[in-house]
Amino acid sequence: MNGIPEISRLKLGFIALTDCAPLVAAKELGLFEDQGLDVTLSREASWANIRDKVVSGALDGAHMLAPMTLACTLGAGVPATPVIAPLSLNANGSSIALSESLARQLRELDDEATAGAPRTAHALKRLVERRAAAGERALTFAVVFPFSIHNYLLRYWLADGGVDPDRDVRITVTPPPRMAARMLAGEVDGFCVGAPWGAVVEAAGAGEIWVQNCGLWRGAPDKVLGVAAAWAERHPATLQAMLRALIKAAMWADRTENREALADMLAQPHYVTAPVAQIRRALVDSDAVALQFHDEDAGYPRRPHALWLLSQMRRWGQIDDNADVYAAAVQVYRPDLYLQAAEAVDAPTRGRLLDVEPLKPMFDGRAFDPSRFEAYVAGFPLRRRLAPAQ
Amino acid sequence: MRVLVIDPDKARAALVAEGLADVKPLEVRSAESFEAVEAELEAFAPDVIVIACDSPDRDTLENLRERTAHNPRPIVMFVDRSAPGLADAAIEAGVAAYVVDGLAAKRVRPVLEVALTRFQLMQKLRGDLAKAQADLAARKTIDRAKGLLMKERGLDEDAAYQVLRKLAMDSGRPLGAVAADLVAYANVLKGGS
Repeated sequence: MNGIPEISRLKLGFIALTDCAPLVAAKELGLFEDQGLDVTLSREASWANIRDKVVSGALDGAHMLAPMTLACTLGAGVPATPVIAPLSLNANGSSIALSESLARQLRELDDEATAGAPRTAHALKRLVERRAAAGERALTFAVVFPFSIHNYLLRYWLADGGVDPDRDVRITVTPPPRMAARMLAGEVDGFCVGAPWGAVVEAAGAGEIWVQNCGLWRGAPDKVLGVAAAWAERHPATLQAMLRALIKAAMWADRTENREALADMLAQPHYVTAPVAQIRRALVDSDAVALQFHDEDAGYPRRPHALWLLSQMRRWGQIDDNADVYAAAVQVYRPDLYLQAAEAVDAPTRGRLLDVEPLKPMFDGRAFDPSRFEAYVAGFPLRRRLAPAQ
Repeated sequence: MRVLVIDPDKARAALVAEGLADVKPLEVRSAESFEAVEAELEAFAPDVIVIACDSPDRDTLENLRERTAHNPRPIVMFVDRSAPGLADAAIEAGVAAYVVDGLAAKRVRPVLEVALTRFQLMQKLRGDLAKAQADLAARKTIDRAKGLLMKERGLDEDAAYQVLRKLAMDSGRPLGAVAADLVAYANVLKGGS
């Protein structure tokens, strides 16, 4: 099905984040053109806009939060509309940053408890208790969207330290480019966001990166290419052409010698609009596992990842017990479409092995076995339950 | 019914509020950002929130659904399946709405329809303004191109215009674009930039 694209003019949405790199590189390097596509990249103000425009057809596809594709399909928070994820856009790059003041309070409380790798939230738990006893306001943390790996990893990390993410602290939502400003204004005490926004707040002296999320879970699922299922059915050849361009762009972006050029590309005002020095941090001079777009099969949409995301949606009461998680993972994550395109451009991949290979364990040692979904969710002492829909 | 309008664009917010004044019974409040009204949100308790899609506060609103889980005021994205195309048209025009769960769609529809038409109106006004400005700029360029032709080739104004028009027709490009090229080439030939 490497036929002529049904349509050639496409509009793809993105949010100002370093991990939109495959889209930007494919556009800037003319890789979309090579596939006969005339692509316009549209920077969107919010994830909600991205979702609505993909669902309504105003966008042909977009840089999307992986759990958003599952939430759309299951009808969590919105009327159910099937969306597919035929490509994972990146792994790694996100972090939990704390305000200068919160980091200082934690160090004063217990310098040793804040020294682990990765640091756990146990010291935070003690601080939260002390603040509550003194009648101080609850700490506020920001994530990028309710259905995001950032929300789930922050909650996982807090709960691991005994901090109840719903009762002990307040979790709010802020679009990535506004995180630094909100921390500077003292409106948030911590946030979990993708690159470069953690580095930006650190460079501004308003906060510091406290935990690199790759330390919590290396290779965690992050952004995907999201396309409405109905659109994909009508435009199979166009989708394949788009995937070929994006996979080639991801391979280019992962080569060390191209990273500087990639950072320069992304720093342009119509893309990420952040200083190139801070964009380079997750790409070039990384103090953590650098962002990956293709290497180690970062592009392969792994169904066990989808199921893990669904396990956290269940854990925090975003979906009810009746939601068919296995059906959702199979319907949304489409490794078949990925493999077809990867083969066409000779992209190395371990392929179907990835569907059965166990995922790396989390920082707390817990391993996720997709076939024991219910037991995994039930194993968390801290969780919420959503009453099943009528 | 209480409606909260969040729009960083003051002029557009005023236009929407004016339109909503005709939908009764309504209590309307507008703000530039969600943060500006967050503190009073509980007290005002809007049944509907209308928000501009270019406002970065949309994602913050999506989270209200979770935050209000223990105080039963879930707010959901409004996509009224009974009026096909309405939600899509709203997204196209750059406006979204959230309603309190359980509020009948037919009660909300007039609100979204007003918001939609006002956003479309604003889009058209801005589009017209941009076009008028572009037309004015094109006319100035055409005048300059005509002036050049008159001076360099000794033509009268009408003949100079005919030359431009022929160039445009032969190349299948707008008159303004042809004139702009001519002015640019003339600058290069004169040694300008």
